[in-house]
Amino acid sequence: MATTSEETSARNADGVREFEIDVRTQDVELNMGPQHPATHGVLRVLLRADGEILTGGQCHLGYLHRCAEKIGESVDYIQYLPYTDRYDYLAAMNNNLGYSLAVEKLLGVEVPVRGQYLRTIIAELNRIASHLVAVGTYGLDVGAFTPFFYALREREMILDLFEKICGARLTYSYIRPGGVMNDAPAGWLEGVDEFCDWMDSKWKEHWNLLIESKIFIERTAKVGVVTAEQAIDWGCTGPMLRGSGVDWDLRRDQPYLVYDRLDYQVIVGVGHRGTVGDCFDRTYVRMFEIVESVKMIRQCLAAIQDGEVCHPDVGLLLRPAPGEAYVGIENPRGELGHYIVSDGSKIAKRVRVRAPSFCNLAVIEDILPGCMLADAAAIIGATDIVIGETDR
Amino acid sequence: MQAPARDTGWGPMQVHFEAARLAAAAFEAAGIAVQLHEPNLPVFAEEGESKRLAKKAKDGGEREWRGDSFLKLADRGQLLAAMRILRDDLGYEQVIDVTGVDYDAEDANLWGVYCLLSLRHKARLTVKVDVPKDDCWLDSIVSLYSAANWHERESSEFFGIVYRGHPDPRHVLLPDDWVGFPLRKDYEFPDEYHGISCN
Repeated sequence: MATTSEETSARNADGVREFEIDVRTQDVELNMGPQHPATHGVLRVLLRADGEILTGGQCHLGYLHRCAEKIGESVDYIQYLPYTDRYDYLAAMNNNLGYSLAVEKLLGVEVPVRGQYLRTIIAELNRIASHLVAVGTYGLDVGAFTPFFYALREREMILDLFEKICGARLTYSYIRPGGVMNDAPAGWLEGVDEFCDWMDSKWKEHWNLLIESKIFIERTAKVGVVTAEQAIDWGCTGPMLRGSGVDWDLRRDQPYLVYDRLDYQVIVGVGHRGTVGDCFDRTYVRMFEIVESVKMIRQCLAAIQDGEVCHPDVGLLLRPAPGEAYVGIENPRGELGHYIVSDGSKIAKRVRVRAPSFCNLAVIEDILPGCMLADAAAIIGATDIVIGETDR
Repeated sequence: MQAPARDTGWGPMQVHFEAARLAAAAFEAAGIAVQLHEPNLPVFAEEGESKRLAKKAKDGGEREWRGDSFLKLADRGQLLAAMRILRDDLGYEQVIDVTGVDYDAEDANLWGVYCLLSLRHKARLTVKVDVPKDDCWLDSIVSLYSAANWHERESSEFFGIVYRGHPDPRHVLLPDDWVGFPLRKDYEFPDEYHGISCN
């Protein structure tokens, strides 16, 4: 590091000679990624540091850009469905759901009630799976290796359930315009119930193992604080917004599916171990959302009735009415928006994907300056980005 | 908010006709020329609707459409003033999305699209503005909403809309040296990129 020093001296009011030495160091630019475990994929963050204090951070995205929006206006509506799986691959069911709701809005169909309940159960199961990975890998980022394995053990059970219902473990295309692909096989709902019991009994272990651990608290509490104003201004959604103390959840505030019939709490960060809006609060929100999701699934299991799961008129070739629709749903990472413009033909004029990770990531350029270099990984990890989604 | 009468899986969440009407009235009071577009098809499709619409599209006539209502600004020069009213007077705290649409290669205009969300009023609003393709600029709204920063960069690289006054107009998803605007309908796919064949 090049160092220059400047010496000045002056007498103060008491006539004592005072020396002031200004040590200026050159900022160091440091590449974090694109191949870095804490960036959860191929994200490159160009960090600028003055000693150990960050003076800037700049995200370079696009390594995983797969032209999802261009593909959306080249293939027909059902053909695009598998591409939705691939933006947030940790919550593919939720992506299917967001896209299907937008197409249904243009089609003007309503999904049979059993289909809606199945969708809700599936979406919440996927939320649990996604949060487990989020919290588990966040443990890896801040130096706790073990919780990750337990998180994946629980997630594996959800993937098994998904495999039973649709045959796939990561990219499902199970929820589709009109409803869901097929009804749950015999015994599947009981399996979900068993999983809820299991998750309930194991949740406390996750909490104790990772969240209440002293090291975790010290690495995350009061680190990377996003104030409520900042979160709103930068368009943060999901746990990023709620972690900053903003009481906003699309499932409650603009309900879709059967969420308005369920009884649950919206978890908001309260500064449990420090400041509201720090990395700890975001993880806190995710952990308690797992509990709420289990609660919702239980209520759905109690209320679900026999019936159709898919609208009978919705086939494989869709011709939605002309028009445009924006539908935003609460994904595990925040608001996933689909803005679809149709001209009445079988191919959309525009499929715009508003990805929550993309917007949640933007705010870190604002909060990195002034943080410690070692906290960069903790801050990026707490935003819970999925690069497939930021880049689409 | 006006909810459809039937019990639906998505209805109450996304029907925001009232929000657009209120915003239109506020714009009118402030002297900002704006057109309110509301869908004229029923929320739920009737039997045989798609056939009827296809036939109608062939015959021409008044366009029937479904989905969200939106506001269209007549003058793009008034965009910042309109956004200021939305943020300060009508309580739209968040810009959820800023994007563009190239509806048809033949069209002279692109659309600039702004999706706003009000946490306070639980309302959504879509504001659109025409952008001529041969004079493709809009005023950047980053000074009002920081969230627009990356969205505008994205929309700018994919549609070629220049956001005037943007603090950091670099590419965000595409490489810095990418030529052309991929989401324009008349975009031609390159044959190669830095010696890598694309076919």
